[in-house]
Amino acid sequence: MPAANISALGATRKMLGFSRRTVEFQRATIADLLLSLETVDGRSLYDKLVCEGRLRGDYAIVVNGLSLKSDQLNKPLQGEDEVVTMAILRHLHGG
Amino acid sequence: MAVAQAVPAESDWILSTCGMCLHGCGIRVQVRDGVALKIEGDPTNPDNLGKLCPKGNAGLSRLYDSTRVLKPMKRTNPQKGPGVDPKWVEISWDEAYDIVARELGKVRADDPRKLLCAIGDFQRILLWGWPAVFGSPNFFTSLGNYCGGSYHPVNGSVDGSFAAINDYDRCNYWIQIGSGDGFSSHLHLSGSAKRMADARMRGMRVVTLDPRMSVAAAKADEWIPTLPGTDRAFVLGMAHVLIHELKLYDREFLRDRTNAPYLVKEDGYLLRDDQGRALVWDKQLAGPQPWNAAAPADVALEGAYEFAGMRARTGFQVWADQLRDHTPERMSKICTVPAETIRRIAREFVEAAQIGATVEIEGKTYPFRPAALNYYRGSQSHANGLFDNLTYKMFNMLVGNIDVPGGHLGVPLDHRGFFIHEGEDGVLKPEPHQLHPAPPFKYPPDSTHLMEWFPIGFDAGQLNTETLLEPERFGLSYSPEVMLMYHSNPLWNMPETDKVEKIMARMKFVVAIDIQRTESTEWADVFLPDHTYLESYLLNCLEPPAVTGHSLRQPVVEPVGDTKDAYEILTEIAERLGFRDDWNDLLNIVCGFTAKPKYLLDPEKRYGVEELWDRYAQSIYGDDKGLDWFKQHGHAVRYRTPEETYMPYGRLRIPFYFEFIKRTGDEMRQKFEQVGMKDWPLDNYQPLPFWKNSQVIEDGKAGYPFYAITFKESLHTFADTVVMPWLSEVSEKDAIHGGILVNAITAENLGIQTGTRIRLTSPAGSIEGQAQVVQGIHPEVFGVSNAITRHFVTNDRQKQRGSHFNRLLTGSMRYTDSATGGLESSARVRVERI
Repeated sequence: MPAANISALGATRKMLGFSRRTVEFQRATIADLLLSLETVDGRSLYDKLVCEGRLRGDYAIVVNGLSLKSDQLNKPLQGEDEVVTMAILRHLHGG
Repeated sequence: MAVAQAVPAESDWILSTCGMCLHGCGIRVQVRDGVALKIEGDPTNPDNLGKLCPKGNAGLSRLYDSTRVLKPMKRTNPQKGPGVDPKWVEISWDEAYDIVARELGKVRADDPRKLLCAIGDFQRILLWGWPAVFGSPNFFTSLGNYCGGSYHPVNGSVDGSFAAINDYDRCNYWIQIGSGDGFSSHLHLSGSAKRMADARMRGMRVVTLDPRMSVAAAKADEWIPTLPGTDRAFVLGMAHVLIHELKLYDREFLRDRTNAPYLVKEDGYLLRDDQGRALVWDKQLAGPQPWNAAAPADVALEGAYEFAGMRARTGFQVWADQLRDHTPERMSKICTVPAETIRRIAREFVEAAQIGATVEIEGKTYPFRPAALNYYRGSQSHANGLFDNLTYKMFNMLVGNIDVPGGHLGVPLDHRGFFIHEGEDGVLKPEPHQLHPAPPFKYPPDSTHLMEWFPIGFDAGQLNTETLLEPERFGLSYSPEVMLMYHSNPLWNMPETDKVEKIMARMKFVVAIDIQRTESTEWADVFLPDHTYLESYLLNCLEPPAVTGHSLRQPVVEPVGDTKDAYEILTEIAERLGFRDDWNDLLNIVCGFTAKPKYLLDPEKRYGVEELWDRYAQSIYGDDKGLDWFKQHGHAVRYRTPEETYMPYGRLRIPFYFEFIKRTGDEMRQKFEQVGMKDWPLDNYQPLPFWKNSQVIEDGKAGYPFYAITFKESLHTFADTVVMPWLSEVSEKDAIHGGILVNAITAENLGIQTGTRIRLTSPAGSIEGQAQVVQGIHPEVFGVSNAITRHFVTNDRQKQRGSHFNRLLTGSMRYTDSATGGLESSARVRVERI
């Protein structure tokens, strides 16, 4: 069975209670992956990160190094995919 | 020492990266018996080609400065204020961390937004997110905003770059406005000065606009003195000449490579079809067509058209109409440059641009436009900075020179290159925020610098001078109580010093991470001493104009005292406050490890500084090019290829008509109205630039007849080099750093001689100093070198001579670009003898 690696950073790590896990799947999309990931309060990660079928603006998902657009949650998951979830970093000030 | 020992052996030299300004030239440091003896440019590094500016040569005097802070210290005098002795006592690192963690922990438990951070180390951008993981959105300084507040958003909006420079290798006619590029400052000075010299040797002509005879002006073929903040008038006048008088501009470029032919409705928005596609006017069909449906030769660049009961003009035509009254005669009255000079330079420029010419480079044919206008701080760090930047870019567009050989080239933020994404209508997606995504609107705002109200701007730290003293005016529901400063000196580098003092006086606790005591660290409760750049690690690649790739900063000697790397300091504080896991995750994002998850930091593990940079290097260059490889080779810097340099965005168009700026402004207006805030200024959200007076111009009518500017030369950057003895000594030998520059004619009229004590008073404050009468400054302008002085000096050699220029500036919205947050860096003044 194909498997994808999911790495969860920051707020999404706290939601899931882990930072990295390998997930087996069959014919799944990114949305399916998010639905299958249960957060510490019993809801799916999909419920937390997705609103009306689109990735919420506060979060980002990177698949194999490329940021997923908010309407690309139906992208098919491939074996060996590296999926990273994170909250958007809006504060990076200096200089 | 024997003479033979003074001759260095090759093995004595350690490769590293300069840290005396933000850009990081390659250096090699001669070390004997653990002592650094000399710094030179690294001849193997193509960035600076073995050259090194005076600051870089003087680096040893920072490393071995006898006034450096070499152990953690705590304040024992509870009183704070200008000139108040903190009565520092040295303490252990453990005690220092205990105090900092206790005080910061209290405020984090209460409301983490009450932490105010001032971070100023440009080479350690990866540390800039530390306040975010603490929980604070606040940013309290304006150092970078002086130069880049409007500059960076416009570069990012035009071509996904972060900065820009003319093509040293192929430009033949270089207009330089308010910039030291290639002469005294800005992008990678050492290598740029070499490239500029080479270009001059092959005959490139340079015309410099500057209120003062700067180095760039003195070495130019022609210096054109102008008034501060009016350079845009000069360029708008030249644009008028090209469009309305000479009728010479690159029609093909504007038609095919920009959105200039897109039709604009009377309401200022693009005309679109029912599928949302922008329309152009098809001359063959005598009707509108989607931008990508009409044959290029049939697309109208100029004209106004009636269609289905509505009238639309091309974007080009809208600007052309706007410029109709921007005649050289009218613009001359604003900038004081004779109308004939405006006409002559415009003609020289367009003729030198060789519109229609091509050049073959490595088997590929490109447009060849060897004339370009380069600009930086002095020309656009003004309250209408957005208009300034747009004007200079669009003037370059008129000759089709953007990102083509010989022309005006984008410079990327770092090794990642241009930010290239397809936006609407075949145009590059604007990327005004390259350091962090645009913050969503929020009222009341979270941040004290109101970042939620600047969706296309940078972080306007100067607004803290208003918001922190009158938080209720801005709906702020809290007030910061503690401050963390990291290599930042807000009391020196922010406008309205009196207000900054009031803000700092309100802080219950201040911690400073720095190398030396400064005006601001004297207000700290705890001082945590950082390594210098000659004692620490990082990989640097920041705004390289001609190259790409990282250069390694590495310790060349053991730390001189009991100091630590700022990364280690901030990591220890995060550890003690219980958010090291979040800190690691933030570093994962900032370092780009999210794109290569095998390098992700484990949130449960603490990483040393060498481990961090080893991962960083491997994540970019491969497993076999970690830190050890860089220690051996020094750098992975190479020249950018033609494909990376010239039109790296392929056939995507660049914006000429900036509809997204207008749209953003209209959306902000709605949002402010929804929260009942109707008086927030939004008037600079315009799709095209034009002339309008700034507050500084208006101040001239209120009893402030003269202008005041500040300037720097290659000897200095920011303020911290001013206290370095070697550099001070050189500065003191140059008359332009000896006092407040005043033109000889003006001096005679005012009864001023060199040495006369004078006072400059602006609407914000006043400064005093001794006059230095010179020929090389505009008669209406007084010039204040940033090398004159610092208020707080620890070295006896450095003289205190007053003249802290920033006291003349104002941090309020009236002196801030309402779209970008860029601040005004010149002031109107009245002058009196004292």
